[in-house]
Amino acid sequence: MAQALLNGFIGGLLIALPAIALSLSYGVLNFANFSIGALITTGAYFAYFYNVDLGLHVLVSVALAGLSLSIVAILIGRLVYQPLGEADHITLLVGSMGVAFVLENTIRLIYGADVRTLDIAVARPIIWNGLRLNNEQLIIIVVSLAAFAVVAFTLKKTALGRAMRAVSDNPPLAEARGLNRGRIVNWTWAISGLLAALAGALVAMDATVEPLIGTNYLISVFAATIVGGIGSPLGAVVGGLLIGLVEELSTLTFPTTYRQGVSFLVLVLMLFLRPHGMFGQAKIKR
Amino acid sequence: MTAYFISILTFVVLSAVLALALNVQWGQAGMINFGLAGFFSIGAYAAAILAVSGINPIISTLAAIVLTAVLSALVALGSVRLREDYLAISTLGFAEAVRLILLNETWLTGGPNGIREIPRPFAGIFDPATYEVAFLGASLVIFAVVYLLLERIIRSPFGRALRTVREDEVVAATLGKDVLALRVKAFAIGGAVAGLAGALHAFYLSYIDPTQFASFVTVYAFMAVVVGGRGSNRGLLIGASTVMVLLEGTRFLKELLPFMNAQQSAALRLLLVGVALILLLIFRPGGISQEYRLAVRTRDVESAPAKS
Repeated sequence: MAQALLNGFIGGLLIALPAIALSLSYGVLNFANFSIGALITTGAYFAYFYNVDLGLHVLVSVALAGLSLSIVAILIGRLVYQPLGEADHITLLVGSMGVAFVLENTIRLIYGADVRTLDIAVARPIIWNGLRLNNEQLIIIVVSLAAFAVVAFTLKKTALGRAMRAVSDNPPLAEARGLNRGRIVNWTWAISGLLAALAGALVAMDATVEPLIGTNYLISVFAATIVGGIGSPLGAVVGGLLIGLVEELSTLTFPTTYRQGVSFLVLVLMLFLRPHGMFGQAKIKR
Repeated sequence: MTAYFISILTFVVLSAVLALALNVQWGQAGMINFGLAGFFSIGAYAAAILAVSGINPIISTLAAIVLTAVLSALVALGSVRLREDYLAISTLGFAEAVRLILLNETWLTGGPNGIREIPRPFAGIFDPATYEVAFLGASLVIFAVVYLLLERIIRSPFGRALRTVREDEVVAATLGKDVLALRVKAFAIGGAVAGLAGALHAFYLSYIDPTQFASFVTVYAFMAVVVGGRGSNRGLLIGASTVMVLLEGTRFLKELLPFMNAQQSAALRLLLVGVALILLLIFRPGGISQEYRLAVRTRDVESAPAKS
């Protein structure tokens, strides 16, 4: 049971990273980015590229994957979402599905559908009071918590973070106060790309690299974002941890193949009971 | 070669039926269905399971239509009062749940192996070669019937109310329209058509498995609707044909780039479809055909006798 809680916590961290990205981009750009799953997958393959194809150390590869996907995300923002920007947010949703389709098939074009693994030295797991924690899981905990801290600091304490929250709260007012929206949008994509890539690269470390990584996380990430309240980064973290725990505990009674199904049930339940989530504002009604 | 063309044409017509379904939901009602593939697969599996167990194919198809319509209404009910994004998420989650059930509940769906030897309706009357042509003809007739029915709905007061809800639901509610009921109905109508398309798909291939219902089905349908013109049914056959031309036409890429294996060239073709979808959304969001608008031709107005 304690082991299940620990595994659920770690699974939750991996869900929380992209959930923050989803929440941030929803707040600033006002549409749900359906390519978040494909971004996670792309991050995992970037880590694979640096780690296996170039032979770099795994932690360096994770960092470089984050950096690379930030740049890719900014480019996608400029090339796809900015030209679509004057369209309604429904068109942006469909556009993000198109982006996901392009990213996933680019990966399949380059790497095929084989299941791959990163090149990691095997280490003895830490065992404490019967609880088992392997090296990769420890890295997941450290990297995710560090990422949360950096995002929280950026949002609360820096000029950029204040600007992002201002745009998120009231775009016309932010514009009237002279905030440069283009720059803020670029930064939002960069942070989203970074967080998605970290999630993908960490999943790749702990498990395998395959084209379906992101798809397998997509529903969980959306469930986490909605449980926490879409648009709220803090909610995304709490939602991610909750969904991670629920998924892990559900495997005690349901077959593991239905993990995503459990997340979907939580999501539907939340939409019925409290669609603005735990930390969201109730104004979400159209 | 003829057999190839007939099968391609049949697939075009079937995907056009599916695109009709999406065009009610997304085009007319502004409701995004990212789980279209899931509803499509439910139609296919319901029809297949019933037909294999010995029930008349036509009754199986009707049952599949009713089932998908009811499920669509239920999914819509959950998120219909929220912003469009939530429906998009729910439908995507629904499709994922359906996919898991198709893969894992082997006793019902055959799991990854799917369902084989689905009895084709009226198979005894035709010899196999003629049957293909007859199926294409029947599909065309079904497309025409669905098309005409939907056009009637679009031009009815219900259709106008639906478009009002799409454009501004506060206005619709102020005018006394039941927004929730309108949306649930629109989604159920679309679901019924998707179920029909699924049933036809199952009977046409007489073999279904989960790989046929992956998310690319949804992407193709969106592509067909965007090409054809969102909200307009007229362009859908052309839209569906364009997708097929893009998919089949890019097969020559394999000869052009001989170093690629089958998997890579398949990925490249899907990649091109995705790029085309994005470019269309950016540069030609209106598609080729305009949505129906209630309008009085100026000629009629001018020539109308002045009332005195």
